Amino acid sequence: MTLRVEHKEEITQREVETFYNFCKSSVNTEVASYLEACVRCGLCAEACLFYMGENISGKIDPTLTPAYKADLLRDIYKENYTLLGRVKKLLGFGVKITSEKLREQVKLAFYTCTMCDRCTKVCPMGIDTPRLVSIVRGALTQAGLVPEDLAEATNTAIEKGSPLGVDVPTFLSRIDFISDEWEVEIPVDRKADYLYIPSSIELMKYPSSVASTAKVLNKAGVSWTVSTKAHEATNFGLFTQSREVTRELLRRILEGAKELGIKTIIAPECGHAYQSMRFVAPNVFPREWDMEVLNVVEFIYKMVKEGRLTLPKRVIDKITLHDPCQIGRRGGVLKEPREILKLLAQDFKDSVEFPEKNICCGGGGGVVVEHEADYHRQKAFLAKAELFDKAGVKDVACYCANCMLALSKSSQELGRDYRFISLVDLVAESIEEEEG
Amino acid sequence: MTDVNLYDIIRGPLLKFALFVFFAGISYRFFRVLLLGLPEDYAKPKGNPLTKALEKLALKPTQGWRFFMEVFAHRGIQYVGGFLFHIGFLGLTFFVPQHSFLWKEILGFELPYMPQLVADILAYSALLSLIALTVHRVFNPVLKLLTGKDEYFANILIGTIIFTGLLASRWSGGGLYVWALNLHMLSAVILIAYIPFSRLSHFVYYFLSVFFYGWNVGKRGVSF
Repeated sequence: MTLRVEHKEEITQREVETFYNFCKSSVNTEVASYLEACVRCGLCAEACLFYMGENISGKIDPTLTPAYKADLLRDIYKENYTLLGRVKKLLGFGVKITSEKLREQVKLAFYTCTMCDRCTKVCPMGIDTPRLVSIVRGALTQAGLVPEDLAEATNTAIEKGSPLGVDVPTFLSRIDFISDEWEVEIPVDRKADYLYIPSSIELMKYPSSVASTAKVLNKAGVSWTVSTKAHEATNFGLFTQSREVTRELLRRILEGAKELGIKTIIAPECGHAYQSMRFVAPNVFPREWDMEVLNVVEFIYKMVKEGRLTLPKRVIDKITLHDPCQIGRRGGVLKEPREILKLLAQDFKDSVEFPEKNICCGGGGGVVVEHEADYHRQKAFLAKAELFDKAGVKDVACYCANCMLALSKSSQELGRDYRFISLVDLVAESIEEEEG
Repeated sequence: MTDVNLYDIIRGPLLKFALFVFFAGISYRFFRVLLLGLPEDYAKPKGNPLTKALEKLALKPTQGWRFFMEVFAHRGIQYVGGFLFHIGFLGLTFFVPQHSFLWKEILGFELPYMPQLVADILAYSALLSLIALTVHRVFNPVLKLLTGKDEYFANILIGTIIFTGLLASRWSGGGLYVWALNLHMLSAVILIAYIPFSRLSHFVYYFLSVFFYGWNVGKRGVSF
């Protein structure tokens, strides 16, 4: 059977049952602890960028509260795993799931949650709502209720190798173009220690990021390559929470890396790519996945610390930083970009008191590709823009191309004039100025 | 039935039954969740998960203050009210002078108890906080959406316990004293038996949920 995710318009009893059974089978000790621990305080709402964005516009939408996004899952859990819930079900007071209810779940889990993890930090019980939303997403995907745009991009990734349709010939032609345009050597399919895997957003929309990474790798003097087999770092399986898609996309990376004898994979400026390769892949391939995974910013920081890369030139005046949630708050790469920016900028102004507090771009978790979510993404951007305005900065360094895309899109749509710059581009500029 | 007969029933078999339901129910709920099991995690942690899990168990409730400007500013009533209520209710349950003989009977030794003045202050602040928190639940759109019968019933029950406790210890004299005490004890007995069936059992899940939170913080190598 061909691997695909589906976008169905019609919701029948079959979809409801599939959704229900997936939720039921996804419960384990960790999930049950989170579901049981919620004290209905609603503090998580104040941390959610979608709720905050509505608030800034003078509206309150309580359904955007993260705790509410897990409520149907909680009800399903209760009637299957608790005594009182079972009795209620037996007496005919069980969970009733209508097609409207499932449609609401699509809005809650896909359009108004980027799984950014900010609510977890505010929750007094430490409930990992993104973990719960990921189950709801998985259940919707299993039921064939993936938002249309997301389903299309995911299926393109499965069929052509990348959500933007970058197949091997296109990949090679883009690499050729970047190599020529930026005059940088990019080795392809060579035996090497490091494998750099770009994302198709970088290849097609931000090619300078790829060129800059190549310059950094060459400057650091490491043995590295790109691979035609492992040419796409993003993993739409994480957005749809499809275990099969996640596995298939990671398998391509694993095979590509093994063929070239790779020891370390360098994940690009892409949040979910890092998350999938660093934290998910070892669990999908527990025996085979023995490579180290570094985000490109982690790699740069490591090289700077080891003295293999110097950044003596400050290439920008005043700048702030946007942390991609899957690399930062959920990935632990928070100190490194700050230390690098301090070397690159005359005046680095952090927009938050502590790094974990940063706000998501509003387009993570696949939200940026879903046109039905545009309204919510734009509202969420208002919360983000407040941070930039408080810091009094127009230039924003990013280390995720998906974030750059979402931020630029929202900024443009709302008539703002922020400039979003790739952090690796700044590093490359500094290296070049030094050479110049 | 006289007020004294009723007192004897509540203090005797009803309290014993409630305590049995409480311990059996809480143990069942805790172990039921614990025994569901966990998948193996093969991803190499970036920090120290166990250290962070233990750290967060001790510190998590205080960390909401780090979001002071955006969360506290909108929900100050929940932070202040929640803090005063928890301190008051737990302090009164275990360390109020009037309860010391009860704990001696249950534990076999007397717990230290606080001066009556402190107990009174805690009781008033806990009761007022509970009222404020309940009103907040009724009017705040987010809380209104999240709140069910369980929360309102628990709040009314706890309010009754604190109010009748104050009534018995401070305001009612003569024949009404035993009735106030009976009502106080009866509502407490209902609460003890109700805890395992309600969200009041969150104190058990705090340890599991926050442990996993801290573990993940350590796994990802973040500090918060």
